[in-house]
Amino acid sequence: MNEKEKKAYLEQYKKDKEKGVPFFPDILFKDAIVSLIIFLGLIAVAYFIGAPLEERANPSDTTYTPKPEWYFLFIFQLLKYFPGELEVVAVVVIPTLAIILLFLLPFLDLSAKRHFWNRPWITVLVVSSVAGVLFLTVQSIRETPPPVEIAQGDPIATLYVENCASCHGGTINVPEGTNLHDVIAQGNHEGMPAWSADITSDDIDALAGFILSPGGNALFNELCRTCHEPSELVASDPIELKAALDEGRAYAPHAEVTIPDWNEVITPQKRTALLNFLIAPDGQRLFATNCAQCHGRSISFAGNRDELRDLISQGGLHLEMPPWRETLDNNQISTLAEYVTNPTATGNGSELFAQYCASCHGERIPTMDDYAAALEIIATGGAHQTMPVWGEVLTSEQLDALVNFTMDAARGAPLELGQGLFAENCAICHGDFGEGGPNPTRPDDVIAPISTSEYLKTRDDHTLFQIIAQGQPNFGMSPFGSAFGGPLDDDQVNTLVVFIRSWEANPPVELPPEVDARSVKLSADEVYTQLCAQCHGTDGLGLIGPSLRDPDFRAANTPQDIFETISRGHEATPMIRWGDLLGEDTIQDLTDFILGLEISDAGVQPQATPGFSSFAEDVMPIFEAKCAPCHGSMGGWDSESYEAVMTTGRNAPTVIPSDIENSILAQKITGTQTAGKIMPPGGKMTNNEIQIVLDWIVAGAPDN
Amino acid sequence: MIAKIANWFDERVGWKVIWEAIFLRKIPKVNWFYTLGSATLFTAVNQAVTGILLTIYYVPTPDHAYDSVQYITTQIPMGWLIRGLHHWGASAMVVLTVLHMLRVILLGAYKYPREVTWFTGVFLLLVVIGFGFTGYLLPWDQKAYWGSTVGTQIAGAAPVIGDWILRVMRGGPDLSAVTLARFFGVHIWVLPASLILLVAIHMYLIIKIGISAVPKKEELA
Ligand code: HEM
Ligand code: HEM
Repeated sequence: MNEKEKKAYLEQYKKDKEKGVPFFPDILFKDAIVSLIIFLGLIAVAYFIGAPLEERANPSDTTYTPKPEWYFLFIFQLLKYFPGELEVVAVVVIPTLAIILLFLLPFLDLSAKRHFWNRPWITVLVVSSVAGVLFLTVQSIRETPPPVEIAQGDPIATLYVENCASCHGGTINVPEGTNLHDVIAQGNHEGMPAWSADITSDDIDALAGFILSPGGNALFNELCRTCHEPSELVASDPIELKAALDEGRAYAPHAEVTIPDWNEVITPQKRTALLNFLIAPDGQRLFATNCAQCHGRSISFAGNRDELRDLISQGGLHLEMPPWRETLDNNQISTLAEYVTNPTATGNGSELFAQYCASCHGERIPTMDDYAAALEIIATGGAHQTMPVWGEVLTSEQLDALVNFTMDAARGAPLELGQGLFAENCAICHGDFGEGGPNPTRPDDVIAPISTSEYLKTRDDHTLFQIIAQGQPNFGMSPFGSAFGGPLDDDQVNTLVVFIRSWEANPPVELPPEVDARSVKLSADEVYTQLCAQCHGTDGLGLIGPSLRDPDFRAANTPQDIFETISRGHEATPMIRWGDLLGEDTIQDLTDFILGLEISDAGVQPQATPGFSSFAEDVMPIFEAKCAPCHGSMGGWDSESYEAVMTTGRNAPTVIPSDIENSILAQKITGTQTAGKIMPPGGKMTNNEIQIVLDWIVAGAPDN
Repeated sequence: MIAKIANWFDERVGWKVIWEAIFLRKIPKVNWFYTLGSATLFTAVNQAVTGILLTIYYVPTPDHAYDSVQYITTQIPMGWLIRGLHHWGASAMVVLTVLHMLRVILLGAYKYPREVTWFTGVFLLLVVIGFGFTGYLLPWDQKAYWGSTVGTQIAGAAPVIGDWILRVMRGGPDLSAVTLARFFGVHIWVLPASLILLVAIHMYLIIKIGISAVPKKEELA
């Protein structure tokens, strides 16, 4: 509008106004009538229909078909027409454009004309927008639940469409480092159920592959499905899969069938897609299937990401094969050599192989053509290509995923480690799931749960770290960080923090339990067993803390000294100021209790300490968990049976009964040996475990 | 007597000027579509009154929200009416706001000199949509939980900042107690404050400029 038009408009408006009516009562009356009608209408619907209230929100019930409020339905519907990457159009582009258009409307339509017939463009735009929104809304109401397309004859896509598409749409953007298999199997807090109940593990692998490499799925259907079910091939041995593709018709299992030479049919890109589908680039799964049999649950690795990537992709001279002539007789070695040159030749070779070689070589026989060379390699061992050249086997996506996972695992983050630490150190007071319970240090007190979402939301990782490391002396929690005299190093505390944080996604405890606060006063020996025994041993002969029955200890401390040490604690040790928690009477009782313990110098060289009582029940499980993944029958020290523990090893015997100082095993697990690294390489065992093994050696390494 | 009291007050408060400016102002001859704005205003007042009453008993935590809403509906005298009015009033308000906007567009009322009125109107529309979106979660029933899960997820699909938006809305990666607290805070503090401010400006401009006349098909120039 130019100035003239503006003036003309204002003049005309003035005239119209003069001809008009006053707001009160004329206009207001009309307004009031309309408002009243609306009000009555609202009361009527409120009375006859009422405000609906469905079942209480249930985040784990995914059978519920979500629907937004009706006036948002059109956006919901719009999404269906823009699947996958186009989603942005429906979610961002169209709404933003609409809002911008609305704001700019007065500037876009600058003509002086106001009647809708005289502004056809605007009118058409508005009417068609309204019609569009109405159409989408109606369509959405008619179409719920959304129709899903099932591609015929594609089992994994069908699985996807039936189970995942209703919430996730056509594609899922998986954040890097996600352990997809676990997410699918275990569900998450957002309401995704644990599919492991309905879908087999193989199918979950296939789904993971489908999600991460949809193209690979299509190729699989095109090329492999005539003969193979997806569940049969996914997550199988990557070396085998690669061989099948590389060797083409020469691949033995494919020799009988008439199939094309895959090298000619499949381009390198397609090959990658196919392999990514068959073995999803999912770090933890890759590690579990490919690395864990030799490396156990985690590997310690101090270098950076690139070094690790190189190490994995180059494979090769990574593990030493033991010289088998030290363990096997000539006969056995030649049987093995024959076996690897001609796997079908002798019967006995496969047994030997299973016994001695399979723990590292797996099912796959390292075939050789030359019998003499094979004999030589087996007999002398040494730098021997044990770790496959993964760079040739895995796709680059798979390698990345594997490297990421291994780096995380090496940092000690895996939840399993944290869980173990929690069970050993925290569960006594906080319960297995952090649910809390009666406070053993304070008779009338209850330890509140630490696994509720409220608790976790209000404490960041740093705070949790501090609490664990420094303890909460005022509440009876002693420090656990080694810097404060506790048993855990910083990595372990961090691992615990990660574990505790993992609850936040799905807190095991929603509400504080109703715990009856015990008001009974504990007797001195009860207090001793619940508190002091953790460090000083149930019999007072000492564990982390010194023996209380030691003659020197008794000679050096008067009853008053003992009383004061209990009340004031020792700075920078887990011995906290118990005086803050226990009353003077209780401390006096405790002092008397300690003085009542029989004097004994046994504690200096503890003989039968609480941890250890039987080799089979106490020591063997530790070996199984911590050593056996690498120290099996493949040579070197073998941890799999009492016999082997006592007799094998390059510098056998590894264990000298009753002699901790000279037992290599003891040196290795405590880190006192300077040659080579502390064992296990994934990180020191817990103090408790070390103590049990040491106690067992001290007790004469019995086989009981 | 009454006139005396009225004068006494007018001397001190000056209400007559205001009365004349607001209620005795002349309005061009308009049709029934011009009642849509005041009808929207009426539903806004309705929402505010019933909303404030609801907050007396409503508890914005996942543990109690559902129970409190159920309690309001079944136990409190007229509770069903208050909640019913708020629930259906919300839909009515959305519909009326949009219809009012359509009337403004089709009759060209956003043009000179009412552009600013129009801008405040567009903000009002966004505020109303915000009310509907945040209010939907509050009863914490199945439709609330899942509707808001999907709703926030949709907003989270925006490129680059989508994830951030999602986290801000939910107060974390998942729909949780924090989300409920946030939605509640926005629903009863942030948005009402914005609504009052915007409506005040809207009204001031309407009174100051005057309501547009119905345009004729044969327009000058
Ligand atoms: C809570 C929401 C709203 C309320 C309470 C409200 C209230 C009102 C009222 C009472 C009027 C007087 C004239 C009439 O009733 O038509 C009016 C006029 C107006 N409204 Fe709104 N309105 C709202 C939303 C909007 C929206 C969403 C827009 C546009 C995007 C808008 C733009 C206008 C304009 C341009 C006028 C001047 C019309 C004229 O002078 O003819 N309003 N509004
Ligand atoms: C201005 C002050 C307002 C306050 C204090 C308020 C307060 C509340 C409260 C406490 C609830 C929970 C009770 C329930 O769910 O039944 C609620 C629900 C709701 N509010 Fe508001 N509200 C206000 C305005 C609005 C407005 C303007 C709108 C809509 C445009 C709105 C839309 C809703 C909706 C859709 C619900 C869910 C009702 C249901 O489905 O039960 N509110 N509001």
